[in-house]
Amino acid sequence: MKRRRFLKIAIAFLGSVTLLSFIYALVKFLSALPSRIAEANRLTIRKSDIPSGEAKNFVYQNAPAVIINRPDKGFIALTRTCTHLGCLVEYHHVKQRMMCPCHAGSFDLEGNVMSGPPPKSLTSIPFRIEGENIVIG
Amino acid sequence: MWNKIINWLEVRVGLGNFIQTQVIEYRIPKNINLFYTLGFLAVIAYGVQAVTGIVLLIYYIPHPDHAFRSVQDIMTKVPYGWLFRQMHTVGSNLMITVVILHMITVFMMGNYKRPRELTWLGGGLSLLITVMFGLSGYLLPWTQLSYWATTVVTSMPTALPLIGEPIARILRGGDSVTQITLSRFFAFHVAVLPPLFLALMGVHLFLINRIGISATPFGMQDEERRPLTEYKRKTHPDGYSYYPLFFQKQMFMVMAYFSVMFVIITFVPTLFFPDEANMPADPNHTPADIQPAWYLLPPYQLLRLVPNKFLGITLQLVLVLVFLSWPFLDSHPEKNVLKRPILRGVFIFLLVMWLVLLSWGRI
Repeated sequence: MKRRRFLKIAIAFLGSVTLLSFIYALVKFLSALPSRIAEANRLTIRKSDIPSGEAKNFVYQNAPAVIINRPDKGFIALTRTCTHLGCLVEYHHVKQRMMCPCHAGSFDLEGNVMSGPPPKSLTSIPFRIEGENIVIG
Repeated sequence: MWNKIINWLEVRVGLGNFIQTQVIEYRIPKNINLFYTLGFLAVIAYGVQAVTGIVLLIYYIPHPDHAFRSVQDIMTKVPYGWLFRQMHTVGSNLMITVVILHMITVFMMGNYKRPRELTWLGGGLSLLITVMFGLSGYLLPWTQLSYWATTVVTSMPTALPLIGEPIARILRGGDSVTQITLSRFFAFHVAVLPPLFLALMGVHLFLINRIGISATPFGMQDEERRPLTEYKRKTHPDGYSYYPLFFQKQMFMVMAYFSVMFVIITFVPTLFFPDEANMPADPNHTPADIQPAWYLLPPYQLLRLVPNKFLGITLQLVLVLVFLSWPFLDSHPEKNVLKRPILRGVFIFLLVMWLVLLSWGRI
């Protein structure tokens, strides 16, 4: 191989590696979702604030969520972001469903899809009961 | 495929002709030296600042309640945020260094002389805008250092009678540095200064292209002593091709620039981050020995030395005016500074004074 050709290939290789390292760093930088840079926080809600059959909205790690006191099965915490196109689902007291106002998707109180276009269930959020309090996260 | 794309562009834009005439056939003086690459290096340095600045804008929040936290998040939580912040901070200091070196070498080689007075003026104004970039960007992290250094710097104009106080109030948007100041400096930093700078840079580069590259005054007969009666572009028909000879020099300097930047980021990452730069701004507590950025230390120290504040600031304004209008004041036909002992002596004296004031200001 001629010296000139070798130098050209070496410069092209080193230049590409340098450029790719910056592009890699930039892609990682841009893909840092708000939830990843949010504080890993804990949230405490009083049990007495949510009577049976009622629900309470809250924000957990920058994402809207809801905790529901189901009449027979107790508490469950779910994200409120519809798995279809990201609208926020609302707890429907009478129907005992989570309803999406955008495209009429509906979920049962376990978070499973009941009808409409959502492709996946709502994600549940871990919590535990400590005396009179519900500790989320 | 590649050839087809090149051909598609060629028949529409005439890229081949442009490269042939502006790059390959573009001649540069035979005695050109490495210092001639500093202008190009300054443009690259500005480019680095623009790219990293835009990237940082994605996570930075210009509000006193969030600015410090958002910058800390960029440094510690956002992947590679530390890299872009360090590049921006270290780059800002290196950029000012490169621009100062560029001006010193242009001065030393007498390249400010006619017909290049306007090119010097454009470069000098660009240096002032660069300092303003540094000054406005300094406040944005909303740290103890940035808050109090900005308080000190924005107090400087108050030395001027009558107009001093209004100027300080306009700068701060009130009597002290507040949220309004942060918003103003942020807008200034990202929206006002960049177009101003680009316009000046455009004029500067246009003039360089239009007037032609000046040869160094060392070891060559200087033809520019002729009376200036008509426009004539300086060409160097017996010179070297820009590509690859000078291009290689420029690339060498660009690599050296990035090497210095990454040596600082890797081995002395706290060089531009003293303790006060890691504390959130507290408007109720001034830390001891607060100082502005190093490039503002000479005027800051001069202001402290001159007992009368008005005299001190007037002296500085006069120095800036002399600096900008120097090509119009210096009508001596000799370009070679080595053949002008008085000018050389004054220049060395001013340079030493600048360094002494810089070091003194740190104490």
